[in-house]
Amino acid sequence: MNAFASAVRTPEEAAKISRTLDFLALGAFFFIFLASYHVHFMLLAGDWDFWIDWKDRRYWVTVMPIVSICYPAAMQAFLWEKFRLPFGATLVTLGLLFGTWANRYFNFHLFTYFPVAFVFPTVLLPLALILDATMQVFKSYAVTAIVGGMFYGLLLYPANWPLIAQMHVPVEYNGNVMSLADVMGFHYVRTGNPEYIRMVEKGTLRSFGKDVVPVSAFFSGFVCIVTYFTWYFVGRWFTRSYNTDAI
Amino acid sequence: MAATSRAIARGHAQVVDEPLFAWSGMWLAAAGFFVFYIGVRWYEGVYGWKYGLDSFAPEFETYWMNLLYAELVIEFGSLAALLTYLWKTRDRDIDRVAPREELRRYCTLYMWWVIYGIGLFWGASFFTEQDGAWHQTVIRDTDFTPSHIIEFYMSYPIYVMVGLGSFAYAKTRIPYFAKSWSVSYLMLTMGPFMIFPNVGLNEWGHTFWFMEELFVAPLHWGFVFFAWFILAMFGVFMQVQPRIRELIGREFQQSADYAR
Repeated sequence: MNAFASAVRTPEEAAKISRTLDFLALGAFFFIFLASYHVHFMLLAGDWDFWIDWKDRRYWVTVMPIVSICYPAAMQAFLWEKFRLPFGATLVTLGLLFGTWANRYFNFHLFTYFPVAFVFPTVLLPLALILDATMQVFKSYAVTAIVGGMFYGLLLYPANWPLIAQMHVPVEYNGNVMSLADVMGFHYVRTGNPEYIRMVEKGTLRSFGKDVVPVSAFFSGFVCIVTYFTWYFVGRWFTRSYNTDAI
Repeated sequence: MAATSRAIARGHAQVVDEPLFAWSGMWLAAAGFFVFYIGVRWYEGVYGWKYGLDSFAPEFETYWMNLLYAELVIEFGSLAALLTYLWKTRDRDIDRVAPREELRRYCTLYMWWVIYGIGLFWGASFFTEQDGAWHQTVIRDTDFTPSHIIEFYMSYPIYVMVGLGSFAYAKTRIPYFAKSWSVSYLMLTMGPFMIFPNVGLNEWGHTFWFMEELFVAPLHWGFVFFAWFILAMFGVFMQVQPRIRELIGREFQQSADYAR
């Protein structure tokens, strides 16, 4: 094996092969990290993502960014540090979007007949774009963690409000006040999802009622900073090349 | 090709290369996956509702349990055949592989990754979250519900097969991977493989504890832990880059594309 012997004949051929390998890698990465991210996401935050009546002010706002920032951070550690490609967060988030929408439409809707308005996924793309833009502008994972991570937490509710607001209109239903989201949850029967299992804000004697979303969003943003740091280093660790002589 | 080999042996013919990218193989495999799984989804849509709601009915045995037995036998058989084939046809003189041939094998490895990704998408993403929908449709009376028969015992073993196949391909054909064991590559294939055994823990818990489907239940976190190892694709990709740079880098830097 001669290290200096080239495998190609012309510079044009080399460029063409390099480009073709780029497309193959991009296609492979899209699906491979989609699957990995989706498993992580659906089993750590999935319930809030599945149902409109789980998308509350306290838990959804807190859990969703903290769980979903992991893969964007790891992906940036790989794509930005090694290749200076500024779309790590967006790539995996698009993948997740593809995976969740394929499921909600073809399975939740067309297989088991839940309305799409009941099971549409959380909007995460604006959050990912902010993260990638921060990385590209500041060229620093620390700044991305602190600024990007905070905005990642803060942006979740505003990014989703235009979609969920319509479901928060109150109605009187058999003498009770319910939001349309609640009504949907009661109406479209879920055999494995009794009401008591729903983790949503129920009020406490130690809380002030009107500040729930901002406080949750800030808390989420702060934890996102820590999560980002952690998962950036997870991404770095997975980027290292390991070999061993025996298994 | 026999005529060509004879001509080469007689010393008066140029070596005719195989094309670097075996496109037809990749597109065929990708199309095969999509056609197969769309068919599976159709079968599930029809016979899940028709015969899949009561696991104690004899029709369930016919339409679902038989599928389970058949798929397990076919999968283990195919995996054994695939690995045996790749091992038997391994390159026994791997140190003398020509650069062009080595590059061709890297190109093929990239294609394996694409197919692995498609397998993972259907298994870990599509049919896994689909199970969430079916859990809200039946109160399960068996661990082997229609969606479990497809998710756990069909789509998972199939992507495991592709992953192990790609690993065996690299191990038997590419000098870099043949020389030692790439821990990154082992993580990439073994992590998703361990999702499959983790089904045992999951069913054990569900059989004894609870029937309502909380997706974020701690019992499910084993799946998450093993799915993280798919990120080892980073390390594998970094492992192949230096050699690809050696193989095409010099010419690439002289290209108009690079100058631009």
